[in-house]
Amino acid sequence: MSMIRDMMPGFELFQPATAQDAVALLERYGDDAWALAGGLDTFDWLKDRIKRPRAVVDLGAIESLRGVRAAAGGGLEIGAMTTLTEVSRDASVKESYALLAKAAGLVATPQIRNQGTIGGNVCQDTRCWYYRGGWPCYRAGGNICYADTPASMNREHCVFGASRCVAVNPSDTAGALVALDASMVVLGRGGEKVVKAEEFFIGPAVDITRMTVLRPGEMLTAIRLPAEWAGAHYYFEKARDRQSWDFALVSVAAAMKVEGGTVRDVRLVANSVAPYPMRLKAAEAQVRGKTVDERVAQSAGDIAVRGARPLHQNSFKVPLMRNLVRRAVREATATTTA
Amino acid sequence: MELIQRTSNPWGQEVLVRISWDLFFIALAAGALFCIIHLVLRPRWLKREAAAAKAPAGFVSGSGAASGAGSERVVRHGLTARLFHGVMAIAMIVLLLTGFLPKVGIQFGQWLTLHWIFGVVLIASIVFHMIHATFFLRLRDILIGPRDVKEWFQEIRYMLGGSTPPAKPGKYPVDHKMYHAAVTVAGFAAMITGVLMMFRIDTPIFARNPYLYTDSTWGWIYVLHGVGGVLLVALTITHVYFAILPEKRWITRSMIKGWVTRGELVAHHDPARWDPGNADDRAAAAAKIARESA
Amino acid sequence: MARTYHGTNYTPPDHYAKVTGRARYAEDWRADGMLFAKCMLSPMPHCRVRGKIDATAALAMPGVHAILTQEDLPEHDPLDETCVTNEPLFEGQAILAVAADSEWIAADAIEKIKVDLEPLPFALDPLDSLRPGGPNARRDGNVIVRDTPSEPGKPPKNVVKEQKWTADAFAAAGGARLPDGEAHVEWAIGDVGKGFEEADFVIDRPLYHQSNTHHPLEPRSCMAYWQGGKLFLYPSTQSITITHAVTAASLGVQPQDYVLICEFCGGGFGSKIIGTVNMPIPALLAKKTGRPVMHRVSRYEENYMGRARTGFQAQAKMGFRKDGRLVALDLYLVQDNGPYSIQSDMNSAGAVASLSYQPVNMRFRAVSVLTNTPPRFAQRAPGGAQITAMLEPLLDAAAEKLGVDRLEMRRINAPDSSSKFDGNQGPLTSALVREAIDKTKTLVDWDNVKKLSRQKKGTKVTGVGVALSSYTAGALGFDGLMVLRPDGKLELHTGVGNLGTHSFSDTARTAAEVLDFPWEKVELIWGNTSKGLPWTSVQAGSMTTHSATRAIHAASMDLKKKLQEIAAKDLGGSPDAYEVSNERVHRKGAPGSGMTLAKAAERAIALGGKFDGHELPEDINPYTKGGAQVVVGKGAVGVAKDNYERAGSIYSFVVGFARVEIDTETGDVEIMDYAAVTDCGRVMNPRSLAAQLHGGAIQGFGMALGQKWIFDPQWGQSFTHRFYSARPPSILDVPSVLKADFVNVPDPHTPVGAKGIGEPPIGAGEAALVCAISDALGGHQFGRTPIMLDMILNALEGRPDYYQPFTTLT
Repeated sequence: MSMIRDMMPGFELFQPATAQDAVALLERYGDDAWALAGGLDTFDWLKDRIKRPRAVVDLGAIESLRGVRAAAGGGLEIGAMTTLTEVSRDASVKESYALLAKAAGLVATPQIRNQGTIGGNVCQDTRCWYYRGGWPCYRAGGNICYADTPASMNREHCVFGASRCVAVNPSDTAGALVALDASMVVLGRGGEKVVKAEEFFIGPAVDITRMTVLRPGEMLTAIRLPAEWAGAHYYFEKARDRQSWDFALVSVAAAMKVEGGTVRDVRLVANSVAPYPMRLKAAEAQVRGKTVDERVAQSAGDIAVRGARPLHQNSFKVPLMRNLVRRAVREATATTTA
Repeated sequence: MELIQRTSNPWGQEVLVRISWDLFFIALAAGALFCIIHLVLRPRWLKREAAAAKAPAGFVSGSGAASGAGSERVVRHGLTARLFHGVMAIAMIVLLLTGFLPKVGIQFGQWLTLHWIFGVVLIASIVFHMIHATFFLRLRDILIGPRDVKEWFQEIRYMLGGSTPPAKPGKYPVDHKMYHAAVTVAGFAAMITGVLMMFRIDTPIFARNPYLYTDSTWGWIYVLHGVGGVLLVALTITHVYFAILPEKRWITRSMIKGWVTRGELVAHHDPARWDPGNADDRAAAAAKIARESA
Repeated sequence: MARTYHGTNYTPPDHYAKVTGRARYAEDWRADGMLFAKCMLSPMPHCRVRGKIDATAALAMPGVHAILTQEDLPEHDPLDETCVTNEPLFEGQAILAVAADSEWIAADAIEKIKVDLEPLPFALDPLDSLRPGGPNARRDGNVIVRDTPSEPGKPPKNVVKEQKWTADAFAAAGGARLPDGEAHVEWAIGDVGKGFEEADFVIDRPLYHQSNTHHPLEPRSCMAYWQGGKLFLYPSTQSITITHAVTAASLGVQPQDYVLICEFCGGGFGSKIIGTVNMPIPALLAKKTGRPVMHRVSRYEENYMGRARTGFQAQAKMGFRKDGRLVALDLYLVQDNGPYSIQSDMNSAGAVASLSYQPVNMRFRAVSVLTNTPPRFAQRAPGGAQITAMLEPLLDAAAEKLGVDRLEMRRINAPDSSSKFDGNQGPLTSALVREAIDKTKTLVDWDNVKKLSRQKKGTKVTGVGVALSSYTAGALGFDGLMVLRPDGKLELHTGVGNLGTHSFSDTARTAAEVLDFPWEKVELIWGNTSKGLPWTSVQAGSMTTHSATRAIHAASMDLKKKLQEIAAKDLGGSPDAYEVSNERVHRKGAPGSGMTLAKAAERAIALGGKFDGHELPEDINPYTKGGAQVVVGKGAVGVAKDNYERAGSIYSFVVGFARVEIDTETGDVEIMDYAAVTDCGRVMNPRSLAAQLHGGAIQGFGMALGQKWIFDPQWGQSFTHRFYSARPPSILDVPSVLKADFVNVPDPHTPVGAKGIGEPPIGAGEAALVCAISDALGGHQFGRTPIMLDMILNALEGRPDYYQPFTTLT
């Protein structure tokens, strides 16, 4: 939809030095505020004049939001403004949470990973082109989903979790974080709260205009990776149309604890198949406590896609997800820790 | 404040989206305000009614006015009617809660599923009610006629301090009839548009087709649904308010248990217009009781 | 010739400017008081402005200077696309433009302009438009035809007509094949019916090739100002002199009152051949405001203001003899023409099919249908790339059926220098396809690599594919212009645009070869029409290398002859007794004799007349005569028209080879190896030639594999207007080493022996990849491009697809 595009309208720019100041600004402007991290989601919206915040709060100057550090109770804490390149190359992330390093390293292109942040990557809005094209859909506050009509272009859309809106969560790192049972540190009016990654992402059934629990006036400051899943067996794969600069058609993330060939615990997550990174609990149950062989992998894949409701162009996501889950189960046990 | 949310469609043409959610708060406020005003004026009206009740016995006309016969139970609402009312009321409450709670910040993922399922329940109950009322109840009891209008003015005059008390009604007083009419209008607006809106969501009932109507038609459908919804909010508030007033408790009881006493009947109704004790009415009531117990 | 420049790598003269960032592309220009223009784009695929455009509020804003609407444009043919319009025929077409102090203000102003748009019926799918009752893209019809005028001598005219095929034709076809409706273009070679009777194997397939946006890296920005009644225009254009001459009218000026400057163009792929449709926006706004105006085009806008390749819905029936020879080809193309001028992709497709496969009998039919999608224009091998990618897989299917080696299959049907082609069965200059196939065989180790075909390793299966791509490779009859100055430098004026291919300087090296002159002393003048440029071909259709080497050769020979005459005049004897080498004109066999060229240049000035350009040849283009005025009296002038004979059409050929691995669990395709071998005559610049072969191939990979046009059918709006959604391949999508080899035999019909090479690499890359994918999938053919991951996975899983053979909106 075009009348005039590719030219940012004016806004007031704030560059606070502390997270508290940033939250105070976000709160002061409420719905009219926009938190700016790496800008890769933001500038599309602003340049297209679709989202028109009055105040943009640039988080780039807040030192405390950057870097990877040891967390208090073990594990790691990653500042929300740490770039994806830093996350993918950080020695401690690679050593203990190679799953996240891999996922971060598969985002878009090297240039985008240098600019994009982990916080921005998980908080990014969906890439549904109807919505991002400024169409007045449910997610944009309207009363229709343009992507789910008998003739819509919905090859990239969801097969699970639709509720009027059929967009998917596009993040590569979100699935990895849910698989690692990460916690998201949210700063807001009432101070800091910690939300499990699994609960951080919400679907349209809960709120059709948001992808995460973050409300106006709140921001993600850090991500905590629990010691419990450090050094587990991991697998991450992203299927996409183009080997660079493309969002996932389906991605899977798996974390497994294997003892003596038996899977003691497992977390399986698929993303870009639902409006949120989707934990595959039934498939996990199929794998947990078992010695993984081809039969277990096959059935985990079959169970994972049970209940899928493809749209008219995206039924391929079902076998794709099934195969990736099978592969994740197969390969995660085969990989060595670290 | 805007009353209706508008947006531009993909071609940049202005279309309606839905009512402004502010209207929900306005409906809440209007309902509450009505109750408050009623509460303020209520003592005065109660006093007058009490005075009227002490009027000479001749005022209470008709048969069986004796106090002994006053405790006899007379069926006002048969079991079927009461079951309908119960189902309808539950559906309505669920619909209003699932419709509006997410908009005031209480978010839960099941609201849409509950909403359409209870919408279907409501529609089914209303369809049943229409058949039941048409063929098994006396339809004219609920219809508003010219006489009702006249009596309504009379009642208003009386409430505002006029001296002539309004004539006693038949089965339903005119304000009940008007409430029913309002609920019917608001309910039908919400239900008909609600059925159409089911084409925009995934249900096992219809194949989803958001392009069934043009976007401007859809805009009106959403607006009507919202208008019906907020009207029902106000109507439900006042309905519940009256149901819990002590002086109306006999009516509430009749909606739960089905009966009123003959005394209540003669005190509030004109048996010439509606008398479950009369042969016609009695026969109908007896037949109904027989049916229900069968 | 002692000095040989062609065939060696060198550093082109624009190189340092490019790598250091000093090169100025269109949007790098700045001028004092410059305003910026922004456009209001149509949100509807077809609509018209109702009533008057109300810009009162916008014009009242501080910093807003002017608005440009259709009423401000010079007269034009109503069929033509204009820079702004009251009846947009595709989503994203400009309705108006605003000039303001900044783009920021201009954008805000546009939002304040009130325009009432009336939506009109629109068509996105050509076949759908041909259905009875189907939508028409224009109010006056749905097809565009080239009408031959009844009066002889008049040029053919493009006409919009309404054409519907019968319901019976559609019913008979049943969606599985193209309906047999009426065609507008039809020709035949031999008797195709008889051909099929002779055939041992017949293949008959519905095919679809999508449309593709050009997406050059540099969008078509343009700056303009007026000075002393002259327009100075700084566009992004592939060609210079033809752009200058042809676009003057749309700008409301005469060519002599118009200076065009474009020294660097960040690619066009055909979308900027003769300038760009938005050029009048800054020019006319600059005229209105009296200030320079810059119109920067963003990537989003480039998707709309740019151009696109036509798509085809087609039916191809091919009959082969047992030995693999193609005896009959029946081809019907429905061309997705976009909303404006008729595109000749379909004609080129027919010509290429008849050339590449030399069918003994052939029937060709085509119809061009209008759609409300971004305008089409020639894109790198227009028609050729599409038909190659569509038909090459069918050759594979036949090869498999008949048990013929796939490379051999191409050789059996390949043309040679004596071959004829196209409807009129015209001759060729040269075609060394078999030599190219032989070189491919060696380069890729075909006999061994083909054994990898369909081999599985883990979840990966290998596929190999080969393809032959051909395309026209050169124009003729243009002019060369140069002046040898008294300082001993050769100032070479070239009209060739610098669109990134190096042809602008490769072709200039012809002069250094002819005159045996050090290339380092050649000063190349290009990209600025005020500096005196000769009449030159467009930089498109692979025409430049061929046409400019001829013209520069002619002008060099003219200069050489003049130098010999000067020497003879001064030093006695006949001109023939002299030769030019090592910066001297001297007696043959006596390099130290004679005079320096610097001296000769001085003498030329003294002699005047034809020697210093005061007298110009009669036969050169008037445009060159104008350009030559700049060099008159500056030294010894070489100027001539290319009058060299050429018997036959000139075509270049590329054989492409691709090896892929497909992940059978995900449908993911990885390109493991790519090689291209070309016959493009004499090699001019090996490094640049390899870049053409590989760059074209990568562009072809995008068309084969992931680059897709996506429109919403309900609203007619496109989504693939940015690089990430349009998905052209990046360098990370291809193997780090790509192979190339050249036949490198001069074409005998041109003095330098060079043929163009821009076009055929794309079809070779696209088709080889399509064939390799099909091979990996055990011969499964999709009959459509692009082949996306979902299609491959569905094929592997044996699941149905959601599209029909001719579905355009996927």
